[in-house]
Amino acid sequence: MSLLDEVVSVPRRTMVLFFVIDTSGSMMGNKIGAVNDAVVNVLPMLEEISATNPDAEIKVAALEFSSGTSWLYSEPKLASEFVWQDVTASGLTAFGEACTELSSKLSRSGFMKSASGSFAPAIILLSDGAPTDNYENGLAKLKCNNWFKAAIKIAIAIGDDADQNVLKEFTGNSEAVFTVHNIDALKQIIRVVAVTSSQIGSKSSTAGETTKQEQVVDEIKDAVDSIDGAEVATAVDSSSYKDDWD
Amino acid sequence: MSELKKGDKISLAIGGHITIIKELGRGGQGIVYLVDVNSQQMALKWYLTPPDDAFYQNLQHNVQQGAPSDAFLWPKYLTKKEKGSYGYVMDLRPSNYYEFGNYLLAKKSFKSFSAMLAAAMKICDGFMMLHRFGYSYQDLNDGNFFIEPTTGDVLICDNDNVMPQGEKSGIMGKARYMAPEVVAGGIPDKYSDRYSLSVILFMLFFANHPLEGAKVVACPCLTESFEKKFYGSEAVFIYDEKDKSNLPVRGVHQNVIRRWPIFPQLLKDTFREQFSQETLKNKNNRLIEQGWQKIIATIRDSLVICPICGEETFVDLTQSEYTCMNPNCAGKFKPAAILKLGLRDIPILPKSSLYIDNDNIPDAKVVRSQDDQNLLLIQNLSASPWIAETPSGKIKTVEANGFMPVKVGIKVSFGSGNKAEIIQ
Repeated sequence: MSLLDEVVSVPRRTMVLFFVIDTSGSMMGNKIGAVNDAVVNVLPMLEEISATNPDAEIKVAALEFSSGTSWLYSEPKLASEFVWQDVTASGLTAFGEACTELSSKLSRSGFMKSASGSFAPAIILLSDGAPTDNYENGLAKLKCNNWFKAAIKIAIAIGDDADQNVLKEFTGNSEAVFTVHNIDALKQIIRVVAVTSSQIGSKSSTAGETTKQEQVVDEIKDAVDSIDGAEVATAVDSSSYKDDWD
Repeated sequence: MSELKKGDKISLAIGGHITIIKELGRGGQGIVYLVDVNSQQMALKWYLTPPDDAFYQNLQHNVQQGAPSDAFLWPKYLTKKEKGSYGYVMDLRPSNYYEFGNYLLAKKSFKSFSAMLAAAMKICDGFMMLHRFGYSYQDLNDGNFFIEPTTGDVLICDNDNVMPQGEKSGIMGKARYMAPEVVAGGIPDKYSDRYSLSVILFMLFFANHPLEGAKVVACPCLTESFEKKFYGSEAVFIYDEKDKSNLPVRGVHQNVIRRWPIFPQLLKDTFREQFSQETLKNKNNRLIEQGWQKIIATIRDSLVICPICGEETFVDLTQSEYTCMNPNCAGKFKPAAILKLGLRDIPILPKSSLYIDNDNIPDAKVVRSQDDQNLLLIQNLSASPWIAETPSGKIKTVEANGFMPVKVGIKVSFGSGNKAEIIQ
């Protein structure tokens, strides 16, 4: 046997793609159906990106939250092994609890224990409403988590009732919140966001000054232009406005 | 975002049109379609979002200039701007060429060390020609190379990011492959291309990254700021002679641990030099492509077929007796003679292929005489005759496919100023 036959794959890091999905009662019907359909269809695309990528392999984790929270699987799985179980909608929107739960798994003792190390994760939050719990503490804690700080974070607001401010707080950037107004747009944007953040998140970063988060947002923005019923959430960023006019 | 569908017709800038047959694949920037161009099947790269006018004009310029060498899958035609975007047409990649990433993922492997060296030589040649034409590559990474595993032939793709030196395409390469000064925000140029070339060559030979050792593995989350350190400001070669903090890790960097000992010292010394702290920081110290070609030619000279086990082995040209590198053999043997070609000492052994120049086509082969098994002959595999002078001063012509004996004292001229002598 030649010495060349003994070659093994280069060590690859792991990039976990998190879906954080609002499954409260208001998502019932078409919305949750579209989410289920879109994620099932995007998994083979993620598998392909992972299989041909010498930098990292992609794993998927999914957290649903309504009155409580639950992970679809107890650990991140390769896209090829991730069998999507349709999620159903009912109950309240325990967003704060979801943040706490996500934070607990964003650790080496949680989901980030790959032996050859990880790239920063990509986190996609989908919601159509506003938190019904006291979310501030949970979100504040999550925002102190170093994995979360380094993550690519994108939020998809489904319809006009989604609380844009909360989603903006989650992503840390109003440009990373995308709003959809119909079921077709929802399906398309899930595909675009999942594929784009996986492609960029699972590769060695680009030399230069642009961050991965900025690249993902820019690419999604370009794609959103051609999706009917999808838009970048906020045209006006008034975060610098201070209410001291009394 | 603009996608095309089967049957769509796109106009070419030079006139005429192409017809979309089907999608072949897609990446971050665009989609590649199989297209019909005057009854010939070619590939169209179509941008999802059209890059700016300067990019279009650069492509136009590159199409007009033509490919620097046959190593490039170069843009042949540019389309007009229509259907919301534009693209360019190139030849189809033959199906027996595989992306370099597949070799790194061990889905494909080189059939021989000879093929591996041919690939290295061809990549150097491609870069040399590119720089000679005044371009720099800019976005160099493992996705740009397609390699044939048996011959080691290489096709360099994604040449739309090739720009005249000093200009910036705006599309930046992956930090893993970019020079420290580019990782820090500098503009890529031929010097940074040369750094990337060293990384690609290292990965080709050792199937691990030259800067990814213990230090990098220990980092649980490779964030962008850590990448800037490991590939930029704090880069340390895994076999740095002074700094042992980033050695390869057993069980993780298996390939390099296994292969590093078997490659000739010259190659190891060259990589140590190219990835030393001095050279990482000083781009003028980086080896030019011709420098690499000389090194690879010498490495190829030291690759022979072991007369005992019949496998390829590198031999130490500074020794008079060689040891087979294959652990199951480890046999000892001597060369029949040495072909002294300039500064090169090429060992002559049965079944050796001899490469006089750098074009990856063997110029000669060492065979046993049919009449006398003890007599070795050198066969002229080139298309032109060689002129030889015997030890007694007779002049002989060795025609294409003809033979000359391996006899000490014979001087031979291979043409193009390449003169050699057979010595003991």
